[in-house]
Amino acid sequence: MQAAAVRLDRVSKRFGPKTAVDGVTFSIDVGSVHGLIGPNGAGKTTIFSMLAGYLEPSAGIVEVLGLAPKTVDRLRARLGVLPQDALLPAGDTVGEFLVDMARLQDIPAVKAEGCARQALDEVTGKDWWGQRCGSLSHGMAKRVALAQAFLGEPEVVLLDEPTAGLDPRVAFEVRQLVAAKKGRCTIVVSSHNLQELESLCDGAVVLDRGRVVASGTMSELTAANEQVRMLVAPGTTRGTKSGQVPVQELRELPVVKSAEFDEERLEIAVLFERKQADAETVIGQVLSILLRNQVRISGVSKGRGLEQRVMDLT
Amino acid sequence: MRSLKGIALGVITLLGALVSALVCVSIEGSDRAQAAAANEVYADLKRQAVEKATGDAALASYVASAPSSLLAFLKITIWLAPMLVALVGFDGVAGELQNRTVRYWTVRTRRSSYFAGKLLGLWAVVALVMLVIHLLADGVALARGYVTVGELFTWGLRFWLVGVLIAGAWMAIATLISSSFRAPVTALMTTFVVFFGLWLCGSVAFASRTMKTLSTGVAVAPPWYEYLYPNAYDSMLLSPDSGKVLTAVVVLVGFVAVVIVGGSALFQRRDV
Repeated sequence: MQAAAVRLDRVSKRFGPKTAVDGVTFSIDVGSVHGLIGPNGAGKTTIFSMLAGYLEPSAGIVEVLGLAPKTVDRLRARLGVLPQDALLPAGDTVGEFLVDMARLQDIPAVKAEGCARQALDEVTGKDWWGQRCGSLSHGMAKRVALAQAFLGEPEVVLLDEPTAGLDPRVAFEVRQLVAAKKGRCTIVVSSHNLQELESLCDGAVVLDRGRVVASGTMSELTAANEQVRMLVAPGTTRGTKSGQVPVQELRELPVVKSAEFDEERLEIAVLFERKQADAETVIGQVLSILLRNQVRISGVSKGRGLEQRVMDLT
Repeated sequence: MRSLKGIALGVITLLGALVSALVCVSIEGSDRAQAAAANEVYADLKRQAVEKATGDAALASYVASAPSSLLAFLKITIWLAPMLVALVGFDGVAGELQNRTVRYWTVRTRRSSYFAGKLLGLWAVVALVMLVIHLLADGVALARGYVTVGELFTWGLRFWLVGVLIAGAWMAIATLISSSFRAPVTALMTTFVVFFGLWLCGSVAFASRTMKTLSTGVAVAPPWYEYLYPNAYDSMLLSPDSGKVLTAVVVLVGFVAVVIVGGSALFQRRDV
């Protein structure tokens, strides 16, 4: 069995004097959905491009399914890529393009059209078969590109900003499609949309200025297994009277390691011992105390939220 | 032919071919009139002209029997071939690098296959365009009665193949340049500069050789740098000496093969 679907070992990439990626090491397990996260210039797209074989690393080892990404002969049917901002061949029809892609993946000629039509159907684009790629809207083109990435059920799929520039409805459909593929292949998603990544990914690598600043499962990154947070209504204060947050009583819960109330952000943060209880149990206990005290609650979340975590790290 | 560029190029090429064909045919008509339709005199005029231009008496005698309208058309075609090749080929790879369309292909195909496919595909397009314009010129010459159907299948076919082989060398250079730049306009400018440089080499060599021949009265062999200009191989390709023809074919096809291998290796290393 393959140990890792994707592996980077001390990988660096320099463009002249500028170092875009600096000694990055991480691996992604087979079958997981993994995010590449970071601000602009963090090195996400550079790493993505090295994984897809577009760029050669200046140093280090990049492997996809145990092979160098430029080993096209052995990867062409096993790796699917959605490149960011790559225009589809304007003169080809959608059908021609997808059939060509299928044929290049060594899908037999008799099956190529069927596979291409199925892939197009999955992105709800079956009516576009005869349309020229150059005449598609941005959203349609993105979905056709997504169809080619998932064409032929590849083992690893790299998606660079899959929902960038899409309207909310199409973005939702794309997220649904990616979610539906979960478990059937390894998916690596590079994106700025942290909420999207938090909902889709099993794990993530957080990058900043070309280096890995954090990596792990989504629970580890967001501390979802050891912290719960609750937002309370404006005007709520700390205290023991009705409508006030009884911080001391929360701290006295047996599984709670610490409890804090930020009156400015109107947020209660409860850190608990993960070996003694899970987040859902702690939420129940904390809510019970707050409701008994008639505290008005406006939100509950496990952990700190990926967005907050990334803001802290980068 | 699916793009505006393709349609515009097609229309311009065909119109140019038609005008060139009419000019070539009218030249032949005028020559024939001057020679008072005396075939021997007319053929001798042609032989002398070709010998002066090439310094090759055997070639001159051989080519003198070819229909001069088709020969003139060949000269025009191969002279304009670099222009056609530059316009067809400058964005073959550079355009896809700029739009990043190449990224869809390189995940599924070897870069060497992509490079070779681009070069051979564009060469095939140019060969097809040349075939169409040759057929157009052949048709005009046939209609005026200056060539026979038999001559079209011998000289006409040979002239087209000569044009295709020479265009292959130009196409190899254009594709190599196109794959070296991300901006098509830079590729176009570089292609024009390189093509102009090669034309200058050929022209300077030709002028120097002709001046020596005229001053001494003895045919002078072309200097080595004349052969940097792909069009210079036309006289070898049309020679009655099969050794010369083979040498020219090997040089031109070999050049294309070397560019495919070298260009693929460079393209393999570059970032896309």
